[in-house]
Amino acid sequence: MASQQHVLLSPAELAYLHDSLSLTPPLRPDGRSPTQYRPLSAETGILPGTNGSARICFADGTEAIVGVKAEVEKTRRKWDDDTIYDENKEETREEAEGAEGSSDWVELTVEIPGFRDDDSSTVFLAAMLSEALLADGGFVRRLVINRRFHWKVYLDILLISPPLSYPLPLLSLTTHLALLSTRLPRLKSEGDEDPFFDDDWAAAPYLYPRSSNKKVLARPPVTLLVMAVGNNIIFDPAKEELAVADVALAVSVGDVSSSSSSSSSEGEEDVDMTAEEQEGRKLRLLSIRTVDPPSRLTPPGVPNATNSAYGHAQVGEGGKTKQQMPEARAAESEAVEGVWKPPRGGAKALVMAALVQKTLQRGGVADEVFDALEGVDLG
Amino acid sequence: MADRRRINGPAGATIPPVFDEDGKQYEHKVAKIRDRAPTAIRKMFLKTGVTPSASGSAYLEYESSAKSGVSGLKLSCTVHGPRSLPRSSPFSPHIVLSTHVKYAPFATKQRRGYLRDPSERDLGTHLETALRGAIIADRWPKSGVDIIISIIEGDQDRETSKFQGDETWDMMNALSGCITVASAALADAGIDCVDTVAGGVAALVQDTSDDSTPRIVLDPIPSEHEKILGACCVAYLPIRDEVTNLWFKGDLPASDIDLYTKLVESGIQASRNGNRVLVECLGETVA
Repeated sequence: MASQQHVLLSPAELAYLHDSLSLTPPLRPDGRSPTQYRPLSAETGILPGTNGSARICFADGTEAIVGVKAEVEKTRRKWDDDTIYDENKEETREEAEGAEGSSDWVELTVEIPGFRDDDSSTVFLAAMLSEALLADGGFVRRLVINRRFHWKVYLDILLISPPLSYPLPLLSLTTHLALLSTRLPRLKSEGDEDPFFDDDWAAAPYLYPRSSNKKVLARPPVTLLVMAVGNNIIFDPAKEELAVADVALAVSVGDVSSSSSSSSSEGEEDVDMTAEEQEGRKLRLLSIRTVDPPSRLTPPGVPNATNSAYGHAQVGEGGKTKQQMPEARAAESEAVEGVWKPPRGGAKALVMAALVQKTLQRGGVADEVFDALEGVDLG
Repeated sequence: MADRRRINGPAGATIPPVFDEDGKQYEHKVAKIRDRAPTAIRKMFLKTGVTPSASGSAYLEYESSAKSGVSGLKLSCTVHGPRSLPRSSPFSPHIVLSTHVKYAPFATKQRRGYLRDPSERDLGTHLETALRGAIIADRWPKSGVDIIISIIEGDQDRETSKFQGDETWDMMNALSGCITVASAALADAGIDCVDTVAGGVAALVQDTSDDSTPRIVLDPIPSEHEKILGACCVAYLPIRDEVTNLWFKGDLPASDIDLYTKLVESGIQASRNGNRVLVECLGETVA
């Protein structure tokens, strides 16, 4: 698994890392603050053969490119759709836009060097990224051309460096930028005719439309990796930090700006509509997954009390081995200060809730990430 | 990657035609309404030791509703191991867990192939995360255990020909069943765990009959509800009060964190209920 590739750290190093990350404030190996992301460089529109593309390079040397390609595809008719398409019938644009999309209009593939494409970790990453994208149905609704045709979008996500750290935040950010830079040819035909497009690429509208001052109205989702060590919550962990995590979560957050939210909003949302209208950014929680932390697979340290090199008798009296003595079993589960023990069991529900809360709160990390992404020049 | 060794059915699914009766316009069937309390989960049947050749096994079946054509989830799980790792594999200080979830080709309305598709692999990964927290892995260095689950019947409504897009929500129910049945099979195989882990699902649903206020229900059946706004599947260890796997999916406002917390709490409650069945079943085996 990408999250559990072997970390070459000794139990002593793991114990040191765990202790320094549990301090208040935590001391991270690369000197970042707990909520700080790794510095990155990003560019968009790098692949001329795609509808949209992006590249992000993290400071630790991991790099990913994403290409978005779109094809026109015929929409399968629904079983209860008895409408006979009448070419002379006037049809408003709104009527066509009311159509629901389907999740198989999006095909997302992830490629990680050194892993098979049907490896469970690769499948898990792809499922996580597509789950966030499809969660609210807003993305597939953008792909409707008319009632007979839609765009089929292929998202190809390539990690081009070896997976030095768990690549989820990198892949998610790159996908986000690639989708923002995606443009689809301008439609010239009207209604339910066979689609016919403008061949002027400069006139092609963006998949995520911009307002007049080049501000993006709605944004694709972003998946953040959060972990907890002791009492600390740490964002965007590096590989070494993830190796001592108690629990790691992948939280997908969407951003529905006030202008385009009306179609998807229902029920309980109306309450907080007024309060947040002025903010402009309305975050939505789209998905949460537990990432199996590699810490469970790390080798345990041996406390001096049971280490034969420090004078502990390896074989008990009467030829009984350590395994047969009940005291040895008890010692096995006891925590000794400064000796690394892989975490056992799960995490308290409250800890998990705190991770999510810290991500989503006003002015929290999700807000910061969206702010930072706004700074990227989309060309 | 096509399966070339077997003769497979046609790739595209066909929906059988639905004819109007007596010239009347075909109407939507009366929507099935949930007749359980919002906090009640479906009845379960769990039995361990059903496969003698495996070191541990279990079978789980959910109560199917009174209506014909609607089936409950049926799962069978076998555990092989702990056994020594092959010589070629590197040293591991812990037990190496491998999970394998497969729908039978006939388990769902849409036929599944013989090869595992991405959603089944995804379920396997979730299951692995849920179980790894429960197993005391360092008692078996240099060994491996295989957990194989076949979903014999998924819970789907076969009466409606309409494609409802329920599959994504069905996966949550399937995962919760997988966790419970795998936990029973692990106990049957005698593999040390910190506690029995059971799965539970809770969903925020909107019903047609209701006055459009979303409510939280335990163990939802997607076809019984008009719309599911969000659902979570929780794997929970009751004695330690810990969650080993949490999977939430949906679309909730980020400002309303309480709604999310309530949903997870309901998931934990569903998991507790499942755990009671699990513990009782294991108690019967011992007695």
